Amino acid sequence: MEIRLRILLLTGLLALSGSLSGCATLRHLFGHEEAPAPTPAPADEGASTDRADDSSPPRVIEPEVERRNIKVPRIKSQDIELGGYIGTLNIEDFGAHRVFGVQLAYHVTEDFFFQAEAGRSKAGRTSFETLSNISLLTDNERWFKYYDMSVGYNFLPGEVFLGRNHAMTSSFYILAGVGSTDFGGDSKFTGNFGAGYKILPTDWLAVHVAVEDRVFNTDLLGVNKLASNLEAHLGLTVFF
Amino acid sequence: MTRQWQRSTSASWATSFLVLLVLSALAGPAARAAQYLQVFVTAPYLEMHTGPGRGYPVFNVVDRDASVDVLKRYTDWFKVRTARGVEGWVSAHDMEQTVLADGTHFHYDTGDLAAYTSHRFEAGAFFYGDYGGASAVSVYGAVFANPNLSAELSVGEFLGSASNGTTFDLGLAHIFYPQARLAPFVMIGTGVVHTEPKATLVQPDDRTEQSAYVGGGLRYYLTRRFFLRGEFKEHIIFTNRNQNEQVDEWKFGFAFFF
Repeated sequence: MEIRLRILLLTGLLALSGSLSGCATLRHLFGHEEAPAPTPAPADEGASTDRADDSSPPRVIEPEVERRNIKVPRIKSQDIELGGYIGTLNIEDFGAHRVFGVQLAYHVTEDFFFQAEAGRSKAGRTSFETLSNISLLTDNERWFKYYDMSVGYNFLPGEVFLGRNHAMTSSFYILAGVGSTDFGGDSKFTGNFGAGYKILPTDWLAVHVAVEDRVFNTDLLGVNKLASNLEAHLGLTVFF
Repeated sequence: MTRQWQRSTSASWATSFLVLLVLSALAGPAARAAQYLQVFVTAPYLEMHTGPGRGYPVFNVVDRDASVDVLKRYTDWFKVRTARGVEGWVSAHDMEQTVLADGTHFHYDTGDLAAYTSHRFEAGAFFYGDYGGASAVSVYGAVFANPNLSAELSVGEFLGSASNGTTFDLGLAHIFYPQARLAPFVMIGTGVVHTEPKATLVQPDDRTEQSAYVGGGLRYYLTRRFFLRGEFKEHIIFTNRNQNEQVDEWKFGFAFFF
């Protein structure tokens, strides 16, 4: 069946080669070296497409009408800010101690951002413990671990100039949020609020100085009271 | 021994800090080597600001038909570089006045009511939470199948006088009239509650139980990508005690879509 079809098509091709002497492709096939016609007539085009593809010789000129696809490079966004900080946390009744933390922020607009922080510090001894030599907390309970989620607002944006040739953008910000503090063997719902200042030496790097207060209700020392834990820290973050 | 451990913890923090520094140093040059999008100015001129904010002064303008490379985006601001190598920030609004090499208009979605109606992802944080009388903090994320229906995952911690705990909820939410600025929604789903009762005379054990919830709430579109979300969930906690526990939860917070 297939052979018969092929013979039929070849016969058709031979017949066409006689009648279409102007066809550039076929002229080339039979050894004619004249320059090909610049644009084949529409009638010829139609006739040649009628033939089976596998039996027809390859075209010399392939029409290149494919649309050029422009690959649009993706624009890198830098809305996420990740970094760490080191500072001093004043744990109420337990003294001021070094604190380490990590922070992650998502900048929704140039003004507003969401920020999450997690940090830890280790409390010292209360004056009562020092004087009486009695320990109120175990060593493990002295870890002050917290996390918080805040909404921040950038205000007073500006530029800081370093000599003649360098300008760095800067901004003050305020933030407030809620979180949890694990201290003294218990986790407490904690409110946090603070303010900070950041300078960006490059577009993707920021240096922060921030002061935050972490407030929670505690009855660790017998009476229920609001404990206020002020923290001051220096942070370094990267935008990506 | 504990001192030593404390020191090693501090050391590991310091190491993380150093790693971060090195990573950030590497991130800079890598960004510079990238291929950038080129856009052509169609407005009479394109204003370049010194920083990514409305207050930063305009220090350079790019003429009509000239091209700029778009280096990066920070919120609604684009950092561009001119053919002469001048770098500055252009607002998303001004960037709309440019075209790509194929003639199509540059478009950046800053978030509007239309995008609020139909978007793929959203996330938010609840800054006020009451979980059966305990204060609660939680975050959630959602993926939308269509403007009305989403799958939601929320993770929270509740801190009360009787017990503390964590909650994980997974469920579906259906928004009525998603095109409205103020839209109500209903929720249904299941979850896991891990409860740590506080010390009493007899110390009960921590327990992890399955839960189910139904609820509803309101969402209110503020601006750009922001909206407020308030909700109520009624949880049924399947305990192995005589009775199942019922917990009411109220939450209020901020969310954004992208």
